[in-house]
Amino acid sequence: MSTITATLGTGRARRLRATLTTLLAAGVALGAPFYFAPFQVFQLTMVLLYAVALAGLNLLVGFGGQISLGHGAFFAAGAYTAAVMLDRYETGHLATLPVAAVGCFLLGLGFGVPALRLRGLYLALVTLAFAVFLPPLLKRLEPVTGGSMGLTVDKLQAPAWSGLAEDQWTYFVVLAVTAVALLLARNLLRSRVGRALLAMRDNESAAEVMGVRLSLHKTLAFAWSALFAGVSGCVYTWVIGFVSPDSFSFVLSITLLAGLVVGGLASLYGPLLGAAFVMYVPSVAQDISDAAPGVVFGLLIIAVMFVAPTGLAGLAGRLRGVAASRLTRTTPPAADDRTPDSEPSASPAPADPAPVDAEPVGAQPRTEKD
Amino acid sequence: MTEPATDSTEAAQATAEPDFLKVAGLHAGYGQARVVQGLDFSVARGEVCAILGPNGAGKTTTLRALCGMVRGRGSVTLNGTELLGRSPEQTARLGVAHVPEGRGTFNDLTVEENLRVGAHLRTGRWRRDGRTERTAVAADLERVYGYFPKLRQRSRQAAGSLSGGEQQMLAIGRALMLRPSLLLLDEPSLGLAPLVTRELFEIVRAVNEEERTTVIVVEQNAQLALDVAHRAHVLEAGRLVLSGPSQEIREDGQVAEVYLGVSVRSGKGG
Repeated sequence: MSTITATLGTGRARRLRATLTTLLAAGVALGAPFYFAPFQVFQLTMVLLYAVALAGLNLLVGFGGQISLGHGAFFAAGAYTAAVMLDRYETGHLATLPVAAVGCFLLGLGFGVPALRLRGLYLALVTLAFAVFLPPLLKRLEPVTGGSMGLTVDKLQAPAWSGLAEDQWTYFVVLAVTAVALLLARNLLRSRVGRALLAMRDNESAAEVMGVRLSLHKTLAFAWSALFAGVSGCVYTWVIGFVSPDSFSFVLSITLLAGLVVGGLASLYGPLLGAAFVMYVPSVAQDISDAAPGVVFGLLIIAVMFVAPTGLAGLAGRLRGVAASRLTRTTPPAADDRTPDSEPSASPAPADPAPVDAEPVGAQPRTEKD
Repeated sequence: MTEPATDSTEAAQATAEPDFLKVAGLHAGYGQARVVQGLDFSVARGEVCAILGPNGAGKTTTLRALCGMVRGRGSVTLNGTELLGRSPEQTARLGVAHVPEGRGTFNDLTVEENLRVGAHLRTGRWRRDGRTERTAVAADLERVYGYFPKLRQRSRQAAGSLSGGEQQMLAIGRALMLRPSLLLLDEPSLGLAPLVTRELFEIVRAVNEEERTTVIVVEQNAQLALDVAHRAHVLEAGRLVLSGPSQEIREDGQVAEVYLGVSVRSGKGG
């Protein structure tokens, strides 16, 4: 966050570069759906959607220093809130968003309470229990949730005035939600609450003697984080149009956490990178080995963590540092400097970047193991 | 246990409220270890009070009991309000700012963000003097930068990148952002060069004189602390063995040598 940007340059140069990067990212993000095929646009939509959940998890894990293996459950809660509202009450799509957000915020407040007494592995275990017990519960509540058959609801429809195809319209709606969510996460971190959160992570007792109420802010961190996961889940229902208990097994929670760590903890665009990893790498793994995609996926995670212990965001930062120092020697840096920067924040080009980053070193962990 | 002498020229000049902070029969410790065993002393409003003593005498524990980090028995009243039994956060609300041993800066936050965490409790919109709290906090940032010009230069740097002395300045500045009525300093000289320590103590003196902030400073470096403090209390094994105006403590060279392990007489001139 601001400490990170503070080291990159000073005053106007930094602001100028940030503005240019943002404009470039916005341009790429807006242009993408007209350039790619519908399926690829759908994949990008899913990346954006997961990024919201990861940004929320980042607030809790990356900036708050707590852990949750149960965020898949908040995601599911948001998804089912939207599905049930669309199915039974036939509300509009937009109406489901605030309900899912507020509902998950309150749910998060409730789950923040064990977080006050537990930390580390114990907290992980309690949150994991939540993730494990939710799918069977959803199956039992058949009259509302449709049981193990799940619910099929309307997807987003492109209005006629927009002149867009369905996948494009969906993409833009999700892009808007994601942009607002990421902006909100950023502003939250720069607010009084965010400062308190970071102060607590750095030095709990020093924060407390400055008057930071630990219990309140730990619980709030959980609640905000759950809100983001819930929003993400709600948008998932809009995009997929189908929910079932099996879509939200506890593996989802673990995948979210893995995605966040791979993308980069406590980084502002780490969630986007992590979401791209979660979205694309499993299919790449499938290509590499039909028999055991899980193994390849796992090895790729190990590989990334081996090369980039601070996640892809940390790696991008390091590459940018290297590139900047090389470029200052040959050409003026201002123009080329931001290309590595834009790569992560712009929507990732399909399939290529993550595996290319990971593959050359894929051999390394294996030799380590042998 | 020695009763602190109530009338001294320095303390009397400091204030008309000799019992601003009153500690009576304070016991404190960690689990089974009873570190502080019955302390009685008072600090007048606007006074700088030094707590001296060898390692393990209970100085830091006393300070932590005052700010709620360690549970204590007995009674500690600030302006008539009981402090014991409150959490650190509640104690901070009463205007007690604690600069912990080892500084406790938030290393991932910038210098300015650290200072703003110090103002965490100041959330009101309007102040009695008609200013908004936001402008008051901004003015206080300037005030802190005025005391510590080095912090202004580094305001956008991560606190973790500061030198030890700068971090200590930041920790004190952060505590001042609370606008405390009582400032607790735990071993500010720890791990710092003598010159830096001297500079710090001069600033503490300036803060005390300009803001009338009451200060309790725990120090091993008796000589420096006595230069700044109006009164001093010497602890040994959890009990007060000597109390009085700094001047007297300093002149009581023999006692000081025994309990403080340093010859303070030679450093009399400053």
